[in-house]
Amino acid sequence: MSKMRVIAIARNLMVKNDAIANQLRDRFAHSGTLVVNVLSSPGSGKTTLLERTLERLGRRYHIGVLVGDQATENDAKRLSRDGVAVRQITTGAECRLDADMIAGALDGWETRRFDLLFIENVGNLICPAEYDLGEDLRVVLFSVTEGEDKPLKYPLAFNTSHVATITKIDIAEAVGYDRAAATASIRQVNPAARILELSARTGAGMDEWFSLLEEMIRTKSLAPAG
Amino acid sequence: MHEITVALSLLEGVETTAREQGIDRVSAVHVRIGALSGIVRDALLFSWDAVTAETICEGSQLRLEEIPLVVYCERCLGERAPRPGSGLLCPECETVSPRVVRGREMELVAMEVPA
Repeated sequence: MSKMRVIAIARNLMVKNDAIANQLRDRFAHSGTLVVNVLSSPGSGKTTLLERTLERLGRRYHIGVLVGDQATENDAKRLSRDGVAVRQITTGAECRLDADMIAGALDGWETRRFDLLFIENVGNLICPAEYDLGEDLRVVLFSVTEGEDKPLKYPLAFNTSHVATITKIDIAEAVGYDRAAATASIRQVNPAARILELSARTGAGMDEWFSLLEEMIRTKSLAPAG
Repeated sequence: MHEITVALSLLEGVETTAREQGIDRVSAVHVRIGALSGIVRDALLFSWDAVTAETICEGSQLRLEEIPLVVYCERCLGERAPRPGSGLLCPECETVSPRVVRGREMELVAMEVPA
């Protein structure tokens, strides 16, 4: 055996992402734009929730939406409507968005006028959890059909989110959704999370979601840029 | 699923250091991965072999140190390792302990090169 020499590197793989995320955070502090990063598994209802949200808030605020998808532009098409600026980020092999992709996608966009920027992450609860995108609010969604222990299976996604939203609450009874169990498993990884239950289809619980956003938009637009 | 990306970031880190130090051959790379990172060991090893083909790391060993989850329990006033699948519950007193002390690591630690 030939002799080996060990060279220390000590490099955190997230350093680069986090530096870019902080630049984004500064940029949006200056423009007073509230940035919301939406995470969930495929099929939990991110796009539907955003559709209803844009319908409700799109006339009152300037809203931008960045949509991450591995292959298609379907979600971006669904979200396109008057008064809302939508851009697609096709991630290809990448299973999540990172801060560099966000910075690239914002290039040449008039983001200064945005009151609110939604980032619809790629449908996945593992990879996106690691990546800070410069957001103010991280929202994780899971639907009543996904199993009440989902937060325990994906602890990082739930631990790093400010809001845990249980979607499709209109079919809760039909699928035997156990509210106490779902709430308990969220609390077990994130006691401070705000928990919302809603149905984007029937509108149940949506007012609380809208008020939360509107309150945060107001706070962010008033906050002195740092 | 993000193992390929992680492998590419590791390679980039190794190549940067190697360039600075005039190294053209790497035989092993040491990495520290926390339990919360969601990284699957075998998938990362597989990705490493794939991304290092025809690089200075070709054929190198990826040595993974897996760091178990450790939280700080406010009630026990100490570091505790939650049982797998129990979220961030202290295994002693069942208090939810969201302060993660270890388990989020994704670090490139060192590399071994022929002397």
